[in-house]
Formats: sequence, structure tokens, C-alpha cells
Amino acid sequence: MAETKFNLLEVDLRNKQTKVIDVTDEIRQFVGGRSFGAKLLWDRVPVGADPLGPENILYVGIGPITGLFGSVTSFSAKSPLTMLRGFAHMNGHFGVELMYAGYNAGILFTGASDKPVYLYIKDDQVEVRDASHVWGKSGVEAQKVLSNDLKQEMDDQNFRFALIGPAGENVIRNADICHDFFHHGARLGMGTVMGSKKIKAIAVKGTKTPPYADPDKLFEIVKTVFHHSQAHLYRVPYRRWGHMISMPQRYYATGEGIKNKQLGWDPICDLSNPVRHEQQYKLWNDACNGCFVGCKVPFLQQEPPLGPCVGEFRHDNAGGWNANVMIPGYEVQGYLSSYVDYLGFDSEDVSGVVAWMMECYQRGIITKEDLGGVELTWGNLEAICAVLKKIAYREGIGSVLAEGLKIAPEKIGKGSGPYAMTHKGVAITSFEPRGSMSDALRLACTSVGELHGGRGIPERVMMDALTTCAFLGPTLRGIFGSFGGWGIPMLNAACGWNLTQDDWDSLVARAEAMERCYSMREGYVPERDDMMPDRFFEETIYNKYGQPKILNREAFLEARRETYRSYGLQDDGTPSKERLEELNLKFTVAALEKP
Amino acid sequence: MTDEERKKSSSVGNPLPSGEQEGWGVEEIPYPQGVAYINTRWDLCTGCGACEMACAMAHYGVINRELSRIRIYRYLLPVPKSVQTVCSQCSEQERECEKACPVDPPVIHYDETLQHMVVDVDRCLGSSCAQCREACPAKVPRFYPSEHDYAMVCDLCETGGKRRPQCVEICPNQALEFMSPKFPQHMERIHPDEKAASLRKRLYPLREDQIIKVPEEIWGGK
Repeated sequence: MAETKFNLLEVDLRNKQTKVIDVTDEIRQFVGGRSFGAKLLWDRVPVGADPLGPENILYVGIGPITGLFGSVTSFSAKSPLTMLRGFAHMNGHFGVELMYAGYNAGILFTGASDKPVYLYIKDDQVEVRDASHVWGKSGVEAQKVLSNDLKQEMDDQNFRFALIGPAGENVIRNADICHDFFHHGARLGMGTVMGSKKIKAIAVKGTKTPPYADPDKLFEIVKTVFHHSQAHLYRVPYRRWGHMISMPQRYYATGEGIKNKQLGWDPICDLSNPVRHEQQYKLWNDACNGCFVGCKVPFLQQEPPLGPCVGEFRHDNAGGWNANVMIPGYEVQGYLSSYVDYLGFDSEDVSGVVAWMMECYQRGIITKEDLGGVELTWGNLEAICAVLKKIAYREGIGSVLAEGLKIAPEKIGKGSGPYAMTHKGVAITSFEPRGSMSDALRLACTSVGELHGGRGIPERVMMDALTTCAFLGPTLRGIFGSFGGWGIPMLNAACGWNLTQDDWDSLVARAEAMERCYSMREGYVPERDDMMPDRFFEETIYNKYGQPKILNREAFLEARRETYRSYGLQDDGTPSKERLEELNLKFTVAALEKP
Repeated sequence: MTDEERKKSSSVGNPLPSGEQEGWGVEEIPYPQGVAYINTRWDLCTGCGACEMACAMAHYGVINRELSRIRIYRYLLPVPKSVQTVCSQCSEQERECEKACPVDPPVIHYDETLQHMVVDVDRCLGSSCAQCREACPAKVPRFYPSEHDYAMVCDLCETGGKRRPQCVEICPNQALEFMSPKFPQHMERIHPDEKAASLRKRLYPLREDQIIKVPEEIWGGK
């Protein structure tokens, strides 16, 4: 088997020039989007660079098996929210298109453009084109226009787009990148970086054969999974109800934020009923490339005054725009989610900003005058929409709130800081850490800021690096016994490698260590930063059955040390020098040594 | 299927990594005899692209949806929706591709013995002609000029008279059906044993003679 070559498309936005680089040697060490993205950040972004300046990069990463089990696109850049390693993952069909276009190591944007542009890719034809005619439009509107522009023959219907909305254009720190309406690379301000570089969109279509080393073996694994998963129970609820299925169970487990984390239960939570949602509003199922689940369940609401509107609930925005801002039920919540998408925000993060403002309003820290005449009471849909619009277009107080939860609380002052539920600058919205210690640790112990789903766990880092959707994880583990059980043969068949279990283990560990090292170089101190806001240690909440829930600081710190150890780190959350050398990360040692 | 085959059928099929038993969906679902086509249930399609991968693998041994004879097109309505398009093995009057072919006899034609559309690849004029694609209301015949410059249409994965459409077998949403256009009774004209065996596979991974695992099996009889 010949080894697969990995091509990276580098786009210099300042000079509007593009070139293709062979990065096969690097990919052998840092396989896949999230892992290679961290390495690129280390190499390409100067220490202490401004995330919104031209020195920052935007890496659109994919992995060797993108498109076979889900097709995640992994955006990497230095985050304008946390000032640390930033990334966002966007599912859908975008990544696989890069694979077919022949850029199996993704696209790297450097520099910044002075006027709005979009990148056009059709196989070898790569152009930086003018995008002034779609600037100012929402993601979906812009996609419609560009899609019509590019359609010359029938197969051009399958051009795929990644775009930013008004929030990204106005460099709001929690803007998202959207693709096909309901797929978003939302977190950590990746849309903001895209907006700061004045990239409105990326349009890709590929028609080449992806260079898999052993397609027979690869397809055998894919086929096994597709057949096997039919009986897998994990598939059933996600197919029927989409992400909404997780909401009631999380409310019962005190795992979901309510009233900006002031409560542990509220009758509003009972309105989150996925069965009713399915029966009344569901349109159909939609899947990402190579996915046997199809968890996207778009809805249509017809009733005025909010309808007609279409949307889709992801559990993060479902949590953020539900009881967290005391919105009663999903007729209203669905409208809000779609409005946030229309403006181009990271729904999860901006819901944290709004919830924080609402609590400040409740406590009299912020007044109606401060908000430009908006009465931001709990559950007030009209007020929330008004504030969102202010943020997206940086009007009045919006220009302060647009800076995100790391900077805005300092600017607002007046003791508003403790009510900002944030972790390293990212809002904690759709999780309630007091519900379970493991949730708290999963949120805390990442080197990249609060990200739901245990994004700091090395295996999860690798899962992301292989660009496989996390929802497929349990099914795949059920079929193959372990992550490596399918990961190793897949990588070997796709890349023509001969990975052993040891190689695999060090790939996984290296992926996690690399991004930890990058964040540490930018000022991340695990012991100091991997903490939860004081509220979770000081205020007791009660679940539906009146049981108290609170985090114990000592128990949390002890469990945190254990978590670090399980990641192969020292007790203070840093990798040891020996560990770094063992993982071929010797080049990081000098930069991380304290002066 | 003979009685003998049927007896075996509940335990044969594609072996899984564990080498034991097959899952629900793997079974050879009852297929029609005679004239048949692939019916696309486009309301059920999620756009995962598994059928495209399976088709390209079956015909060319590569994973490349551009070489697939079934294609998925994705629209923004503004909610994304995918729809499939595949040759429907039209009846004689409706065969626009065959009528449009400029070569005599037509390169693209219906083979009465194989009972599916056939393309004589050597005689095909390729993408520079593409009259068949133009004429087809569903725009089904496709070309891949860089490697295979001839019209590609569905042959129902027929080899040696045996038809096993790979796209139908892999579709995780039952969005593709192998159907007879006139008399779709292939699900009915089968022995009840086969119906039962087909449904039994939903109970995977439970063995046929098993209701539960007894405690001894779980905890080793201690």
C-alpha cells in the first residue's frame, strides 16, 4: 500500500495568492484537523498575537477519514474569546467536499483581506473572489445567492458553503460559521476570526477520487457499521427526536442551567417535551455525510405571530434559549434559535451573555436606560431579540456585550462580574456543573475553554481530529469494543500506514498535549484557569425532588488532580518535560519554560 | 428460495467482525423477479451518501461518489433536503435516452434478458455527446470524463443474472427500495418462514433459542 499524500491549500489573503503544500510528514505526527490545527497554531501564530489581527491564522481542517463516519470540519485559530487555542467543529457536508477537491489536509488562511472576499474552490481551480454583493446578508441568504451564482450545470447544485453572518462581519467575539442552515462551527469565535479576515464564505466542490490507500478495507468497515448500527439503540432516539431528546433527562439530572444558574428546577422545564415537538413540528431527518443516524430534525412552526419559521434544535442552543433565560417552551425557543442563527452568533455563547445581562437587570446592576430602553426581564422574547440585534450590530451597550464574557464584565463593572457564568471567557450555558462532578470536570479540564461534551479528554480530542461525529462514538465503540478498535484499521486503510496500538496511544496523547502546550504558551495556567465560577461552590440549588446540589471545592480539586493524571499529566495539569519528549514534542519544552 | 436454503438462511449472511451473527438490515430482503427498478423514497433520504459510496465500490472498487450511478442532490429550501436520482429502467415508450442516442443501434438501451439498461462502453461517444443525459427527464446518465468517459446508468448490480443492488442494501433509512414497477408483490409472494426470519433479525444480537442471559452466564455461576 502506498502512503497517502496530504495536501494543504494555503491562501495568502493579503496578496490573494494560493499554493498547495505537501504536509505528509507533519500529518504522520499530528493526524486530523483538530490535532494538526494545534500544530499549525504553534508554528504560524506569533506568541501573544492579536486574535483579530492579520497574524492570526484560520485553519479549515479535515482528517484522513472525513466523510466516512460523519464529515466534520474543524476550524482552528487563536480564539478571540479566550485568547487561547480556539477551535470549532462544523458537521455537515463541507469537509468531504474538500476531500474530493484534493485538499485532504484542509485550507490554511493567513493574513487578512482589505475588502470582503469569498474563496472559490472547484478541484484545482482556486480563486479569491469579491463578495461585496453578499456582505451584510445572513448565512442562509448569502448561501442562496452564491449557490445561484455558481450553478452552471446540474452537479453544481452540490457546491458546499461555509459562511459568516452579520455578527461575524461586525467582528462580534462570539460569531459562528454556518453551513447548510443548521450546521455551525460556532464555538470560540471562529466566525469572528473569519470576519476579521473579511472572508464572507468558502465555496467548495470536488470531483476527484479521494486518495485512500485501501478503499476495500475502508468500505468493509463502513458497511459493517452501517449494517450493524441498524439495531443499535443509540440511533433510535436521535433519529426520532434529534438533539431535543437530551433536554428532559438533563433537566431531571440537574444538568441544565436555569435562570442563569440560579435555580435547579423550574416548572418551565416540563415544557421541553420532545415527543410533542416531534408530533407537531418535525419535518424530516437530515444526516451529515456518511452518517447512519441522521440526528438533524428540522421543524416548521406555522402559527402566527412567531410563525411561519423553520429551524433546528441543537442541544446547546436548546439549553441556552430555554429555561436558562426562562423562555417557556419551544415555540418561542425555536424562533429565538433561528433568529440567533440568522444573525450569525454562537448560539450557546451569546445566550450566556444575554442570561448574564438578564440577571444584572434583575439585580438592578443594569437599568432600562443602560440597555437603550429595553426591559430585559426573564423570558421576555421581544427584549431578548432587541438585545441580540444590538449586539450583532454593535449598537449602544451591544458594542460592550459583543466583546464576550472575558472582556465585557470588566467594562460593565458595578459588581456584575460574579454573575457571568464563564470559563476561560466562554459562557457556560447549557450545562449545570452542580448536577454531577463528572460534568463539572469535563467542563473545567480542557485547555481550550468551556466546551461541552468533555472536549479535553484525549480520546475525544482524537475523535475530533479524525473528524468523526461524537454522536457516533457509542455506536462505534459498541461494535468494535474500543476507539482504537476501529480507529487504527481505519487510519491504516485510509493513509497506508502500519499503526500499532502503541503508535495509536501516542497519537492520541500527542493530540491532547499539543493543544495544551499551545494554550500554555499563550498564558494558560491549568491550576488557575481550570476552575468553575464561585457560584457553583457557594450557592446550593435544588432539583425537582428538593435534593440539594452544590460543588464541594476540596472534592472538586481532588477529582481534578485525578482527571489530570488520567490524561497523563502532572498534578498541576501540565505535561512533564519527559512526557513531552516521549511524545516527540521536544520543540515545545524551551518555549514553555518559565523565565 | 428452496426449503433447504431457507433453513440455512436464518444464520448466513455477511459475517461481522465478531464472526458470529448478522444484524437487522443485512438480510437478503425479498427481491422482485423480472422487470424491476430502484424506487427512491426521497421523503426519507437524509443525504448521508452511503448509496453513492456503495455504488462506486461495487462498480469501480473506489470510494468516489462521482463514479456513482445513483446521485444525491442537496437543496436549501431553506431547510436542507437531499433527494436521490437513479435510473428508473423506464418502459419502452418512455425511454428518452435510448431514443436520443445518435449512434445506431443505440449505445444506451434496454437489455431484455438482463432486464436493465445497458451501455456499450466501447461505442459510446462520451461526455462530448451526452444526448442521453440531455433527453433524460431525471438527468440520470452521468459521465466521468477523466477516467470513464461513457454514460453510467444503474445496472441493478447485476452480475451473472443475479441482482443485488448495493445502494439498497446499505441505505440506513430504507429510502431505497428494489421494486417491481407493475406488481410489487415480492414482499408477499414468499413463504411465511422467510417473513418471520426477516423480522427475527430485529432481535439481534439475541440468539434464536434465547430469551435472556441466565445469571450464570453473566456472573459465571458464583
